[in-house]
Amino acid sequence: MISARKLVFAGAALVAVAALAGCGENEQVIVYQQGKYQGKPDTRPWENDPGAGLYTTSKWTKGDKSSWEAALRSRNQNQNEYARVE
Amino acid sequence: MLLTRKSATAPSAQSRLARGLAGMLAKTIDRRAFLKRSGVAVGASASFATLAGQLPFKLIGRAEAADDKSAGGKTEIKRTVCTHCSVGCAIDAVVQNGVWVRQEPVFDSPLNLGAHCAKGAAVREHGMTEHSHRLKYPMKLENGKYKRITWEQAINEVGDKLLAIRKESGPDATYWVGSSKHNNEQAYLMCKFVRLFGTNNTDHQARICHSTTVAGVANTWGYGAMTNSYNDMQNAKAIWFMGSNAAEAHPVSMLHVLHAKETGCKIIVADPRFTRTAAKADHFVRIRSGTDIPVIYGVLYHVFKNGWEDKQYIHDRVYGMEKVKEEVMKWTPERVQEVCGVSEQDCYKIAETMAKNRPSSIVWCMGQTQHTIGNAMVRAFCIFQLALGNIGKMGGGANIFRGHDNVQGATDIGPNPDSLPGYYGIIPGAFAHWAKVWNVDLEWLKKQYAAGMMNKPGITVSRWIDGVTEKNELIDQDSNLRAVLFWGHAPNSQSRGKEMVEAMKKLDLLVVIDPYPSATAAMAAMVRKDGVYLLPAATQFETSGSVTASNRSLQWREKVIEPVFECKPDQTVMYLLAKKLGFADQLVGKKDGKQNIQVVKDEPVIEDITREFNRGTWTIGYTGQSPERLKLHMKHMQTFDVKTLRAKGGPCDGDYFGLPWPCYGTPEMKHPGSPNLYMTERHVMDGGGNFRANFGVEKDGVNLLAEDGSHSKGAELTTGYPEFDHVLLKKLGWWDDLTEAEKVAAEGKNWKTDLSGGIQRVVLKVHGCHPFGNAKARAVVWNFPDGVPLHREPLYSPRPDMVEKYPTHDDKKAFWRLPTLFKSVQEKNKNISKEFPLIMTSGRLTEFEGGGEETRSNPWLAELQQDMFVEINPKSANDRGIRSGEYVWVKTPTGAQLKVKAMVTERVGADTVFLPFHFSGWWMGKDMLAYYPDGAAPIVRGEAVNTATTYGYDSVTMMQETKTTLCQIERFQG
Amino acid sequence: MARMKFLCDAERCIECNGCVTACKQENEVPWGVNRRRVVTLNDGVPGEKSISVACMHCSDAPCMAVCPVDVFYRTEEGVVLHDKDLCIGCGYCFYACPFGAPQFPQAGAFGMRGKMDKCTFCAGGPEKDNSKEEFAKYGSNRLAQGKLPACAEMCSTKALLGGDGDVIADIFRARALKRGKGAEVWGWGTAYGKPDNPRQQAPKGAKS
Repeated sequence: MISARKLVFAGAALVAVAALAGCGENEQVIVYQQGKYQGKPDTRPWENDPGAGLYTTSKWTKGDKSSWEAALRSRNQNQNEYARVE
Repeated sequence: MLLTRKSATAPSAQSRLARGLAGMLAKTIDRRAFLKRSGVAVGASASFATLAGQLPFKLIGRAEAADDKSAGGKTEIKRTVCTHCSVGCAIDAVVQNGVWVRQEPVFDSPLNLGAHCAKGAAVREHGMTEHSHRLKYPMKLENGKYKRITWEQAINEVGDKLLAIRKESGPDATYWVGSSKHNNEQAYLMCKFVRLFGTNNTDHQARICHSTTVAGVANTWGYGAMTNSYNDMQNAKAIWFMGSNAAEAHPVSMLHVLHAKETGCKIIVADPRFTRTAAKADHFVRIRSGTDIPVIYGVLYHVFKNGWEDKQYIHDRVYGMEKVKEEVMKWTPERVQEVCGVSEQDCYKIAETMAKNRPSSIVWCMGQTQHTIGNAMVRAFCIFQLALGNIGKMGGGANIFRGHDNVQGATDIGPNPDSLPGYYGIIPGAFAHWAKVWNVDLEWLKKQYAAGMMNKPGITVSRWIDGVTEKNELIDQDSNLRAVLFWGHAPNSQSRGKEMVEAMKKLDLLVVIDPYPSATAAMAAMVRKDGVYLLPAATQFETSGSVTASNRSLQWREKVIEPVFECKPDQTVMYLLAKKLGFADQLVGKKDGKQNIQVVKDEPVIEDITREFNRGTWTIGYTGQSPERLKLHMKHMQTFDVKTLRAKGGPCDGDYFGLPWPCYGTPEMKHPGSPNLYMTERHVMDGGGNFRANFGVEKDGVNLLAEDGSHSKGAELTTGYPEFDHVLLKKLGWWDDLTEAEKVAAEGKNWKTDLSGGIQRVVLKVHGCHPFGNAKARAVVWNFPDGVPLHREPLYSPRPDMVEKYPTHDDKKAFWRLPTLFKSVQEKNKNISKEFPLIMTSGRLTEFEGGGEETRSNPWLAELQQDMFVEINPKSANDRGIRSGEYVWVKTPTGAQLKVKAMVTERVGADTVFLPFHFSGWWMGKDMLAYYPDGAAPIVRGEAVNTATTYGYDSVTMMQETKTTLCQIERFQG
Repeated sequence: MARMKFLCDAERCIECNGCVTACKQENEVPWGVNRRRVVTLNDGVPGEKSISVACMHCSDAPCMAVCPVDVFYRTEEGVVLHDKDLCIGCGYCFYACPFGAPQFPQAGAFGMRGKMDKCTFCAGGPEKDNSKEEFAKYGSNRLAQGKLPACAEMCSTKALLGGDGDVIADIFRARALKRGKGAEVWGWGTAYGKPDNPRQQAPKGAKS
């Protein structure tokens, strides 16, 4: 018959293993907040360097929102043929 | 239910993103799948660099179009031009590591300003190698199945067979179907290739597209091309579209048209269908298919009656208008209504709108050209513009929208059965001229031909099947056709498909050289066991070269990617085949220590070919567009004004975009190109001009040259004058304006054959005159079957009473080497409308192009139009118990029947049905998938309307009458 | 501050499907997923008009309101994006959207619905900008490269405008003025009385 101490020891070891096993994993229970975006964060477009993509003719300063908006506004005029011909 | 032609169902086609998303059904992307995918990408780009030679295909790395620079390697931007229609939309291709990963619009382009239609927005698919439906390697039909072979074996076997056929039956036993999708250099080389082989049996898509236009218009006033441009239409105050569905066939042209509409232009559309173009019209008129001339005359009737014609213009610049007026005044409103169903009110409205809103422009396409009287229809439309004085004006002109991307270039300098490059014809003088340019021995060339055949126009592509099957004693050449090569041309765009497969059965050799197997491969495998070869050609994105848009501007394409799989560019295939057939040296002009065209690894250098045709094509001014000038234009597109196409300042200052031909003289003379033809308001060195003196100086006592005072701005000769040659130059005392070197070359020559360009330079630059003379346009073309255009009913007409009144031409015994029937067919089928009461017409869809195998192999396009269909009016449908979406049989007098889906719509009238012509891959109800080579069948297949179309050819050019025939429709049972 | 919007000018739209294919090509959208579609009213009869429709990037997006796992978020420029990793494919956004923007790919057996996909205004999604992962899941991120959606940039007649609402309203306003009449499609008849002729011409003296 296994002694009680050995049982407790084995039990403790098991608990320890179980607890250790839990260390590297994600939260077991997801805390859900209704109405709030739950996904990955996203970067803002102007936080990229113009040279980061393969090819673009637009120029702005990385991190500067208004220069990026200005670049887009200027590019938007390509959809307006009146900008080139009356 | 939406009445639009979209289907919500889709086949279980695999796709790249779908496979990736399949791994995402779990909460997060499966890490294994994620790693595997990035591993593949990295592995592929590594292997491309190191193992490229060892892999079975040229494994271009998986075309993952991410903008991820971590893949490393070079990023290049290549500027090219869409390969679908003749608008010529520029595209910037972003290429990383030799893989085409992105395409960007070119906002700078003055032609399209960055706009694309569905096809242009999807061209990147051509470079995608995964799930590609392209022809990947040479194949041979063995025992009914396509087997892969090597290029060496293919060239050897095809070459041997051609040489054998040539030895046994002469070079005219072969037929070379060239392509309007070749760039200028390839088309020009092909024209040369076929002549060096020794035959005139060659042709290309222009035959079945605008051949009647070119013949009719050139014979009216000089050049048979679009007189103005898409851009120039912005200047028009009224535009009349008849026989053109620009919104579907040339979508980006509508950018200019709708811009014009916004700034006040009136749009009129006359068509048997209420097309998408008609939806944008201010005034729509429904006409019976084939009755364009009565409509035009019905409108002209009101023009003359109200005195709206431009009398001064007609007096100065037009011959024969009185004879035309005689005919026109016979077309009273009642007569017009009886023949074509258009009311007096509608005719008057059109006349008033076009006359009171000048400059007004006209547009036509297949609706006018594809008839037995196509040559007359286009002339009638031209006469209308001459009457209003609209030709040679900004905002006016005859705006002919050409079809394929380079049909204009191929027509100009490509493989035509009746002409060498530049419309020189095939007279001995033409051969003498070109032999000199090609650096080929003229005597050798003469011996290549069979006796008596060199100056005889060849068979046309619309009739090649009769060249095979017609009785030998009835054809105007020794042997029937035994070998046909489809080099960049689909078969399902020619009529009488049911007879075509019979012809295919009889051939000794059938070769397809194309990026896609095309319906030829499937049709041949359906009826034959062997004797068919498929050679994979590269697309225009895998080579460089120039292309001519409909407005005659030339654009330069840069090579985007290396040929994929085992494809070779057409010029390489030509050189390899020429080597086998024994005239490789002549092909590149290698003689007497000189070689015109250098060859690098079996590929003739493109720029050398450009320079060669620059040296020889004086007639239409393809001489000034050197590769350097063209490339400069492509680099500085934004400097060109959108309305006038002229560069104001910048490196191309003064040039018109693309140096639209005629760009006369040598490149050094720097002629700016001619954006609008025949404009007397401009100096000839500014792109101005006048009508051509090509038809003599007088006819029946009437002066054919322009009247005094009618000349291009600043011309030294203010009267009409004939075309220039050395005699005229000497007479005028201008001979000494030539340099000594030019005098040597120009002695005994005229403006077309003077290889130094001196005559052109002196006439244009020094004296401000036009080298081709200054004459009147001809409203009466006396060398055509009907001098004054006359209405004649189509061969298969729904109105026996009209056939009585307006019968067609008499049969011709030998026309383009073949007996061609007119009256006998019409008589035989006079009452066939009892059995086949519906007029069957065919036309284009936006999503597909031409024969359609290329675009139906592109999943992004194929998804949008998945079924072949027939548009049928609700009344006609109800009379036959047909519901929308059901299958029906379309039966024609040929005995063929097509199984297509019915689309019940009011677009067509109750007497007409419409079918798109882009489909192929079904044969009378049976899917032909099994007959295509493995992995190279188009995604969407359907009946080809031309399987069932009937006999009927134009009386001048042998254009097929595909716009008007008859059919009956029945519900499909079981 | 920019607020990204689309505007399709029905007077110019010729149903060429250039926008549809541009989106397919740019984002390599699989067969069966239609981020953008052209809708035609009165097909084949006088009064035919077409409009190109994709996600409208609503300020008060119904999709965002109903999503049970809250995968949606709105960027500072007003673009509505979502995180596919969290999406459970329930299709509630599909019910809620008045424009039919949410699409579901045909992957897997038994037509399982899969992750929702929709127009992203070419702004990618919540992965690293311009990365392979972003492209694989959401398509191209043109905004991060200073470009505008491919559909609007490639429209054959410049009917479809896309960009800062302020700018495109200006562009459209100029066109409307040139035409001398308003946009009948969006309630001109309702606001100013129904025209008795559906293809009513502009009053005399107006430009078109």
